[in-house]
Amino acid sequence: MDILLSPQLLAAALITGVLYALISLGLNLIYGTMRLLNVAHGDLVMIGAYIAFIVFSLFNVGPLVSMFGAAVICGGLGWFAYKSIFQNLLSNSQILARLEENSLLLFFGISVVVQNLVILFFTADRQGYEYLSAIVEIGDVRLTGARLAVLIVGSVISIAAVLYLRFSLFGLAMNALIQNRDASAVVGINVDRVQMFSLIIGFGITGLAGALISVLEPITPVMGFPYTMSAFVVIILGGLGNLWGGFLAGLLLGMLEIFGVAITGPEWRSVLVYGIFIGILIFRPQGLLGRGKIAR
Amino acid sequence: MSKALLQVTDLSAAYGQVLALRDFSCQVEEGKITALVGSNGAGKTTFLRSLSGLLPVQQGSIDFDGGDITYEPSDQRVEAGLALVPEGRLIFPDFTVEQNLKIGAISKRARDDLAEGLEYAYALFPKLEQRRHQLGGTLSGGEQQMLAVARGLMARPRLLMLDEPTLGLAPLIADAIFDMMTQLKETGLTLLIVEQDVNRTLQIADYAYVLENGTGVMAGAAQDILADPKVRESYLGI
Repeated sequence: MDILLSPQLLAAALITGVLYALISLGLNLIYGTMRLLNVAHGDLVMIGAYIAFIVFSLFNVGPLVSMFGAAVICGGLGWFAYKSIFQNLLSNSQILARLEENSLLLFFGISVVVQNLVILFFTADRQGYEYLSAIVEIGDVRLTGARLAVLIVGSVISIAAVLYLRFSLFGLAMNALIQNRDASAVVGINVDRVQMFSLIIGFGITGLAGALISVLEPITPVMGFPYTMSAFVVIILGGLGNLWGGFLAGLLLGMLEIFGVAITGPEWRSVLVYGIFIGILIFRPQGLLGRGKIAR
Repeated sequence: MSKALLQVTDLSAAYGQVLALRDFSCQVEEGKITALVGSNGAGKTTFLRSLSGLLPVQQGSIDFDGGDITYEPSDQRVEAGLALVPEGRLIFPDFTVEQNLKIGAISKRARDDLAEGLEYAYALFPKLEQRRHQLGGTLSGGEQQMLAVARGLMARPRLLMLDEPTLGLAPLIADAIFDMMTQLKETGLTLLIVEQDVNRTLQIADYAYVLENGTGVMAGAAQDILADPKVRESYLGI
């Protein structure tokens, strides 16, 4: 079992973990503040990846720059989704009571539409590009420059986001909304605004992660789905609506996946991820760090 | 008569198809305690929920401090100085006591006075200061109620509305809450109280309204309402 001590593997696990943390943070904000089950979440990863690919093909500009563009565009999609669909639905208390279930179908529909639009414009073929592919050696670890950049940038942004949401006044308001909607309105939080920014930040941060992922794996219209599943596993592992728990759970799932696959084999990846998912639902439905049921 | 801080005219509100409040009018005078009494399901909580913007109004109007707030969102009402201490307290269980208080001062009207507000809240409820780093969800019922009141005060309200502030509390704690309400009145704060302890509420109140099946059936000076034979029979069991 020497393989478990390999720093090479640890680096790979950290890269996956940081990306999971980033993507699931976005999902967690959206679920936590609005109880929307965004099963199209992984498609934002895909959109971010395509944006990075297009920008690189057209202007030869790398993902470390285009990721900000991906964040802005995906954040804009979040704004558009809020203004066109969710603002009205969330302000009606009777629709609100059933929105969680219905949002699952809604986002599933959006996911199908978005994937097919991408196939229409870019075909279903795998895309990719060469970026910082030279090998960098740090001690015993050998990484491509691109993977090292993803590790550093992903860590910085996810930690910054978690710290911001933990210590800023806006983060406090967002946390309050995650805990209790009526109480948030009662103390004078502008619920509408917090919801809108949750969707914008949640979508934007996920698009940014997608731009980073574009250098790690082939870009296809269906690449998002595994990320949707992983993000749901992560937020359930960390406790729904628990941002800090979700961050740790993202790292943990990255570790479990990479080390698990190294021991068993790539064909076991799905079994591992879904196995963890089902295991948590059975034995610890409130999440590893969850304190109990989230009050509505 | 001094000036009415809150003027409610022919207010109706509903849960879905069920009309819970019908054409109810009342006014709250500045610096006074106004009480709203009535049996369970009479529409008292519905009334406070529509005043704070949690429940949309069907008909009628709400004027606060001379401005029409009937269709304003909750945060704008807090901004205007109308704060609710809700039924069931609705404190944030995963926030510490201090975070709960801080979020109470999130409105622009209160944000700059955060430090002063905290000092005032801890002076009023020294127990909360002892437990400032404890999570809200781990407090006892009485402490949670104190926290809910303190959080309401953090918004620097002109009118504080309290919904069943002593419900489910031990008698000693309920005593402290009634004392605290009288004390708050003495500082010049205006109060609107909904309470199941009709007798004691009417003793500390200046004016009172009686609600039955969503409609106002009686209004007047609290002492007169307390002396009314019908009220004594229906709500006090005397």
